[in-house]
Amino acid sequence: MDGNNTEMDENNTELSGDEIQSNPIDNDAKAVNIGSGVRVDGRIEGAETSDISGTLTGTLKSSNININSKGAFSGDMSGQEITISGSVDGEINSEDYLIVNNSANIKGVIEYASLQVSYGARIQGTLRHRGTVQSYTPISTDEVKEDEISENQEVDQ
Amino acid sequence: MALFGSSEKKSEVKTEFMFETDSIVNQSTLAKDIKINGSLESTDYIDFSGHLTGTIKSSTINLKPGSYVNGTVTADTVTVEGEVDGDIQAKDIYIKSTAKIKGNIRYHNIDIQNGSIINADLFYSS
Repeated sequence: MDGNNTEMDENNTELSGDEIQSNPIDNDAKAVNIGSGVRVDGRIEGAETSDISGTLTGTLKSSNININSKGAFSGDMSGQEITISGSVDGEINSEDYLIVNNSANIKGVIEYASLQVSYGARIQGTLRHRGTVQSYTPISTDEVKEDEISENQEVDQ
Repeated sequence: MALFGSSEKKSEVKTEFMFETDSIVNQSTLAKDIKINGSLESTDYIDFSGHLTGTIKSSTINLKPGSYVNGTVTADTVTVEGEVDGDIQAKDIYIKSTAKIKGNIRYHNIDIQNGSIINADLFYSS
């Protein structure tokens, strides 16, 4: 799978190199690629795609996040489409879908809209479904609302 | 002769799964309209579609779509297609797209299909 992907990427960069006479690593791509063995500390924001095969500590905000099987991330990450095959320690916030492959090892809080976990993956922590009311509003306000509703109903009756 | 042959094959296949049975798997099916307050226990296989408040314990539990459990589910293998409010404890847990889970999940192997709604704490145990 990985081999196919890299081949495709190479083809793409060759094509774009022919069309636009620019550096193969196009700035407009908003791509972050941390190779295996590379360690990065810090904050990444506004990225389109992030491919992490090395070690990243800090905050990652990218619409597309890939933590590959050799990749390790610790900190907060948020994105739309997230795929995790490596290890993550911290918070994952996925607006769209989150795919956890069987080689993944996750510790922390996961907030998701759509979640798929392959048999064999290790997850230790909390799962929160986005859109479930109780994950957003604190319990106290819920109780108040329920009280208000019941009172209103009584008045109606 | 033919009978002996087939039963031998079956038992071989079954050892690959976790059924510790010599011949037949005891399968219990509980229909939609069943409501239980208390505990439900079996040694083999439960197909559950009803409503349960309490505990359910077996080797293999299938919580079918439309089923509701408020309490504790304990088994070697659990497949969740319904709603669970409470604790699930199993070696293998399969959560299907129709599942809705709230509570704690203790597992060794977990498989989650997208579409399921899970608000739970996950505990991996080796």
